[in-house]
Amino acid sequence: SPAGDSWGIFTFLCAALCNLPALPALNCSEELGAGQSIQQTYDLTRYLEHQLRTLAGTYLNYLGPPFNEPDFNPPRLARAERVPSATVDLDLWKGLTDNARLAANYRAYSRLLCYLRVLDGQVGMAELRHRLAHFCASLQGLVLSIGGVMSSLGYPLPASPAGPPAGPPDAPPAPNDFLKKMDDFWLLKELQTWLWRSAKDFNRLKKKVPPAVVTLRLEARGF
Amino acid sequence: DGYVQYERVGADVTMKCGSMDWDAAVIWTVNGTDINESRLNGSYLVLKNVDLAQSGQYACYEGSSWHLKYQTSLRVGTPPREPVLMCRSNNYPKGFYCSWHLPTPTFIPNIFNISVIHGTKEMVCEKDAVPKNRCHITYLQVFSTVKYKVTLTVTNALGKNFTTLTFDEFAIVKPDPPESVVAKPVPNNPRRLEVSWQNPSSWPDPESFPLKFFLRYRPLILDQWQHVELSDGTSHTITDAYAGKEYIIQVAAKDNDIGTWSDWSVAVHATPWTEEPKHLTTEAQITETTSASTSSFMAPPTTKICDKGAVVGSGAVAVCWTAGLAMATYSVLFI
Repeated sequence: SPAGDSWGIFTFLCAALCNLPALPALNCSEELGAGQSIQQTYDLTRYLEHQLRTLAGTYLNYLGPPFNEPDFNPPRLARAERVPSATVDLDLWKGLTDNARLAANYRAYSRLLCYLRVLDGQVGMAELRHRLAHFCASLQGLVLSIGGVMSSLGYPLPASPAGPPAGPPDAPPAPNDFLKKMDDFWLLKELQTWLWRSAKDFNRLKKKVPPAVVTLRLEARGF
Repeated sequence: DGYVQYERVGADVTMKCGSMDWDAAVIWTVNGTDINESRLNGSYLVLKNVDLAQSGQYACYEGSSWHLKYQTSLRVGTPPREPVLMCRSNNYPKGFYCSWHLPTPTFIPNIFNISVIHGTKEMVCEKDAVPKNRCHITYLQVFSTVKYKVTLTVTNALGKNFTTLTFDEFAIVKPDPPESVVAKPVPNNPRRLEVSWQNPSSWPDPESFPLKFFLRYRPLILDQWQHVELSDGTSHTITDAYAGKEYIIQVAAKDNDIGTWSDWSVAVHATPWTEEPKHLTTEAQITETTSASTSSFMAPPTTKICDKGAVVGSGAVAVCWTAGLAMATYSVLFI
């Protein structure tokens, strides 16, 4: 098979590099392609998107009207800008490098996860808290999955959001109950939009990194 | 002249003959034809409970001099009912189009005005030359969390109406049906049909926004469809077709992740490959062919004229025999 020839070449390179005295000792390990993990990440975004539909419905009902009305279309307040937005200029989005594309997803979900955890901590209903916790766990899985793709492609992970996991980085508390609910509404909206966008982001990445690629992962020991 | 008067169906219309007094002697005409005096109230023309047929050119002449004193074009119609508005993105992520129409005609000219609001921004929906009653919007940004609000107002001389649609960017995505659907038999495979198609040409970027497809097929003689969903590729081989049966096949498309299915494509017909029928001359050969057939349905035997070498099936033989007997009897009569 064609993969057999590549494997032969890689083993040779591995051996050659490991034996060069000038280079630091390298640990060669073969990893099944970034293509596979991109597919898995894509599947995870689809799974989360379906989960969110039910979760958002329940949560908005918990918030009560007007938040659970289908035509509810409030203006975006300035304070809502803290939540990372998926909205982007089309040409800009198309022109994103693989690294930038992945990093944008990674940063967005890391922050959304933070905010969602705060939400979870404040919800009065036990059943809803349980569902939110489950969703947060899946969302954490997505963040890790994206991180995995980035690592396998050799990209550095963006810096984690500062601040304790219990609280989002720069969040002045909402001055009243209604505005707090607005915050929650926009959080869920942004999360939903990000999941739709990610499906497209990962589609684009899938085309660029075919699943059959065998990548060589080099770890520098002591560096 | 050039004055147009619009009135509602069912209304009572009174026309004055210009500045003429009520008791002046006048003659009214409609489209050149005199109007019966019974319709007049003095010099006023009274039309009660007008209907569409009464639209026309009305003129009033002074009785003796036949001077034209007044004329008007009466158009009977109705105020607009709530218009029907539809918005759809068949070219995601480029933008979307909206199209509209009135559920019932008004019989008089209408003006349509469309406004698109996205958050706080008002966007311009560019009117299409063809078809009329359609406009399109180009997205400035994609993956938007803010809904679009489209308001269509229709106005005519008798009234006004409007309708509004509010939707998310993702909700209105619906591609056009797949194009160039082709179905071909596969040589030496009596149960296969090879179907291929193309992405709709209106879908601008199938690379980044891939489509998935839904294929349905059935033999013409059955009502039940069979379905196959395909997550990629623009071709599929049907492997369970009934041998020798004509099939009808259609394909639909959908964005992989968002929106709704397209309408079904134009239907194509195809019949799986069948072995070339051998030329039949004896009964023995007929039985051989029928027992070798794998289909569960028998094609109806073609009734041919009693030809020496073209007998198919026992029915035709009986016809031949009866025909022969009839001819024999007939010829006897002439002896």
